Parts: sequence; C-alpha cells; structure tokens
Amino acid sequence: MDYVGSRFPELGPPGPPGRELTSAKIVVAGGFGVGKCTFIRSIVDSDLLTMTALPPERAGLVTELVRIQFGRVWLDPGLALHLFVAPQWQDPRAGWSDVVRGAVGAVVLFDVMRPADSVDAMRYFEDHHIPYVLALNNVHASVRSDVKAIIRGMGISPDVPVVNCDPRVRLSVREALITLTEHAKLDRWRRRPGPDETTPLAPVC
Amino acid sequence: MSSAGDAHRRRRRAQTPAEQTFADLMNGFSLDSGRKRTRPPSSPMPEREPAPVAPQQEAPHFEAVVPEVPDASIVRAYAWTGGRTRSNINLEIETLVSANDQSRQSAGILQAEHQHVVELCRSPRSVAEVAALMRLPLGVAKVLVGDMAERGLVDVHQTASAGGDTPDLGLMERVLSGLRRL
Repeated sequence: MDYVGSRFPELGPPGPPGRELTSAKIVVAGGFGVGKCTFIRSIVDSDLLTMTALPPERAGLVTELVRIQFGRVWLDPGLALHLFVAPQWQDPRAGWSDVVRGAVGAVVLFDVMRPADSVDAMRYFEDHHIPYVLALNNVHASVRSDVKAIIRGMGISPDVPVVNCDPRVRLSVREALITLTEHAKLDRWRRRPGPDETTPLAPVC
Repeated sequence: MSSAGDAHRRRRRAQTPAEQTFADLMNGFSLDSGRKRTRPPSSPMPEREPAPVAPQQEAPHFEAVVPEVPDASIVRAYAWTGGRTRSNINLEIETLVSANDQSRQSAGILQAEHQHVVELCRSPRSVAEVAALMRLPLGVAKVLVGDMAERGLVDVHQTASAGGDTPDLGLMERVLSGLRRL
C-alpha cells in the first residue's frame, strides 16, 4: 500500500473496479493574486494541474487559450473533490460555464485592500443562485467585525456566510470549505421543489 | 504637414506588421534596466514606450507571429476528433473515467491517443485531469473520452450533478463528512 494520493491507505487506491465512483467540484474565485491557487494547494495533496479551454464563441479565430488551474482530493475512496480556480473575468464565458455547472458552490476570496476585484464573481454567483461564501483573506481579528460590517453594507445577502481564511493554512481552508458546503446544503434544502419530504429546518422562503 | 507625414508613417507601419513586431521585440529586450535608454531624436519612434518582453507577448501585434505553434497543435488535436467539438456522452469536467477490462485486453491495438488515455485512467481520472495531463483543450479531451466510452474502452462514472443541476443532498452530505475527516 504505497499509494500516496489517498488518505485512506488501509483501503488501497481509490476506485478499484466495481466500486461506485463519483465526483464533486467547488469553484474558487476572487481577484488577481488574492490566493486562489494557494487556497487549493493547501487542501489537495499534489500540485495543481492546468487545463486549457478554447473560448467557444471565438473558436474560429486565432485566440489565446484560457488556462484553468485545478486540484483534486479524494474525500473518501469513491468521491473525488475537484477545486477549480475560476477563469479570468475578462472573458467570463470562456470555460466558465464548464467550471461552475453543477458545482457544490463557490468560495470567493476577498482581499480587503482590493474589494472591487471580487465583486464580479459575487455578482455572478448571486445572479445565478450559486451558493457561495466570502472568505476574507487573513484579516486581523481586531478589525474583523468592522470589515464584516462594511461587507454587509455592500448589499450582500445576509445569508451569505463571511469567514476569515488564511489560504496558506490547511485547517483554515478546510473550515472555509465546510462552511461553504453547509451553506450550499441549506440553500439546497430551501430550494427543494416540494414540501413533501421531511426537512430538518422549516423552509424559510 | 508633419502630422500628415506621421499619419503616413503610421499607416505604413500598420501595413508591415512583421517589421513592427520585430522592432517591438528588440525594444522589449531590456538588458540593463538601470541605464537609461537613449534614442536618436530623428528616428521614427513608435508611440508606445518600450516595455519588457512579457507584457508585450499579450499585445495584439504579436498575434500574427507567436500563437502559431499552439494554434497548429489545436488544429491537429481537432483533427483527431474529426472536427467535432461535442461528444454524444454527457461529460462534465469533473466526471471520473477509468480504464476497464476491455481496454486492458486490447492494449496493443489501440490508437496512440486512446492508449494514452487508457494508461492515464488505470486509476480513475477526471476529464479535466485527462485534458491537463495530455495537454489537450478541454473540448478535444471530452470528444476523445466520449468516443472511447461509446466503444466501451473506458467506464464513465456519472457525477451526481450531471444534467447541469446542483448536486443532490446526499452528495453534499458526503462532501461535508469527507471534508471533516480531512
């Protein structure tokens, strides 16, 4: 059992034939240099991979490829979680729909010094009803509540969790991802089509 | 008069992109940034300041020369797929693919790129990983994997979100408990 990519060495490498395999993905968005790659690198075991995509609407022209970085971690022997860096915002349709379609949700890294960089991403997720959390990039505890108050003042829905996150620290990244998934689960419950099934929480809206 | 001459010169420069590109390239070589660059005042200098090489590669002037190599490889990659950009099988970028018994048995008789995919997928890989590791554009990788799935060479493990909807609650619960164990 010298397989190093799994955190379940006693179970062997993930996905021997016959085992049910599935995957999920989370999008990591935010401005340039805010720490998206660092965030992903902290939680996946291996280095990030880079995937290229052609902007579909310009496929006939000579154009530069969109590069999308991502990492993958096995959460259990049959479940691979992919973390994708959101493609550049200058070309939102290029590879973008592939990345966000079917995602659990998104983590928007938020640099307090450059708040405008993250607004595009937040607006997109709001408009498309994709659950997301705002991860403040390592704000000092003394001003954290002030920053949160300012962010709430920006008109972000009070449902959106705002967490502090140091992208270099694995535990901190894990906390942000757990917060996101819990938020997404709740969001999913609220959007359930029918009231027939038993819900742990009363539907809010 | 002089402005007309400038306009003429600019037009001429625009008509000879290769010449301009080369000049830009030479301007981009900042061998010693400490020393101030002196330029003869009489020479017709471009309006733009000379910039380091890296940003200039993104300038549109370069498009005629530089991207030929990636472009050619894209053309070759699309030739593999017969020009198709869509697969019959619904593949998301995170969809897992794994080699199966049939692909192991027919190891010697596969096309080279199919063989490559089979080797990659001995342990399950996502479509995104196949695209990244084979250095193929995502669309090409999707068609390639889709073709192989149709011929039974690889198993496709459908994601819970296939169909464009959000993942179901069971999957989210699994993600959550998996994250907590990390």
